Amino acid sequence: MALRYSELMALDPDRIDAAFYDELKRHYTDEEIVELGAFIGFNIGYHTFFGTLKFYPMFAPDGRLVSQEESARIYGAAPASLVARGDQACT
Amino acid sequence: MHIKAVPLADIHDPELLALLERCSALGVPDALFPGVLARVPEYAKVLLRALAVSHAEGAVDHKLKEVIRVQLARTAGDAYFARLRSRKAQAEGLTEETIAAGCGKFEADSRFTDAEKWALAYARELYLNPERIDAAFYAEGKRHYTEAQIMELGAFIAFHYGMQVFARTLRLPSPRGSSPPR
Repeated sequence: MALRYSELMALDPDRIDAAFYDELKRHYTDEEIVELGAFIGFNIGYHTFFGTLKFYPMFAPDGRLVSQEESARIYGAAPASLVARGDQACT
Repeated sequence: MHIKAVPLADIHDPELLALLERCSALGVPDALFPGVLARVPEYAKVLLRALAVSHAEGAVDHKLKEVIRVQLARTAGDAYFARLRSRKAQAEGLTEETIAAGCGKFEADSRFTDAEKWALAYARELYLNPERIDAAFYAEGKRHYTEAQIMELGAFIAFHYGMQVFARTLRLPSPRGSSPPR
C-alpha cells in the first residue's frame, strides 16, 4: 500500500480517493500516513528538480570517490522512469 | 478530508505553535495543512519552517514566488493551496490579475521582466516538461539570476510542489473567503 501510495501520488493522484485512504488506514495509523505522504511529496518535488541539475552520486558502488563523468557512466544518464514501466505501474 | 487536523487546543509544543502563528500571519498555509502535519510534530516543525523560509525569505522577490506558488498549485491540481494568498505579497502590491497572468501566457505579458518570465517558465516546465530544463535553459537563467538565486528558486519550487501534491490527495476543504481558482 505504501508503494502504491507513492506511485499514485506521482503518476495518478486522482486514484488516491477516500477508499484508498480507508485501505491505507487498515495498515497504518494517521500519523504514519502523514509521515509517508509528506515524505513522498517531498521526494516527488525534489527528485525532478535534482534531475534537471545533472549531478550524480559522488561514490561508486565499491566506495571509490569518482568524477561526475565516471559516475554518469556507472549510474546511467537517467534513472529508470516509472512512466517507462507503462502498464506495470500503479496496478 | 482524509486525515483530520489536530485541533489547535491540542498542540502544546511552543516551537510548533510559533510556526503555526507565523504561517497564519503569512496566510500560507492557513491552519488546516499545518494541523494535519501536526500529527507528526517533529515533521511538522521542519516542514512548516521550510515552507515559510523558502516562500517569504531569501534573495528572490516574494511577490514572484507567490505567483509561482499559485501556478504550481494549479499544475499539481491542488485547490487548497491554489486558493491561499500571501498577505505579505498582497501588502507589497501583488494583484489577482498578476497572479492570473503568471499562471497563463506570461511570455508575451509586458508586466513581467525577462528574469521573471524565466522563473515562471522554470516552475511551469519543471513538472510539465522537465526535459526542457537543459543546459541552455540554465545558461539563460544565469543571465538573470545568480546561481544562489537559481538554487533558491529551484528548492522553493520543488518543496512547495511536493507539499501540494501531497495536499491534493488529502482533499483539504477550500479556505474560507478564499479566491476562486482561475
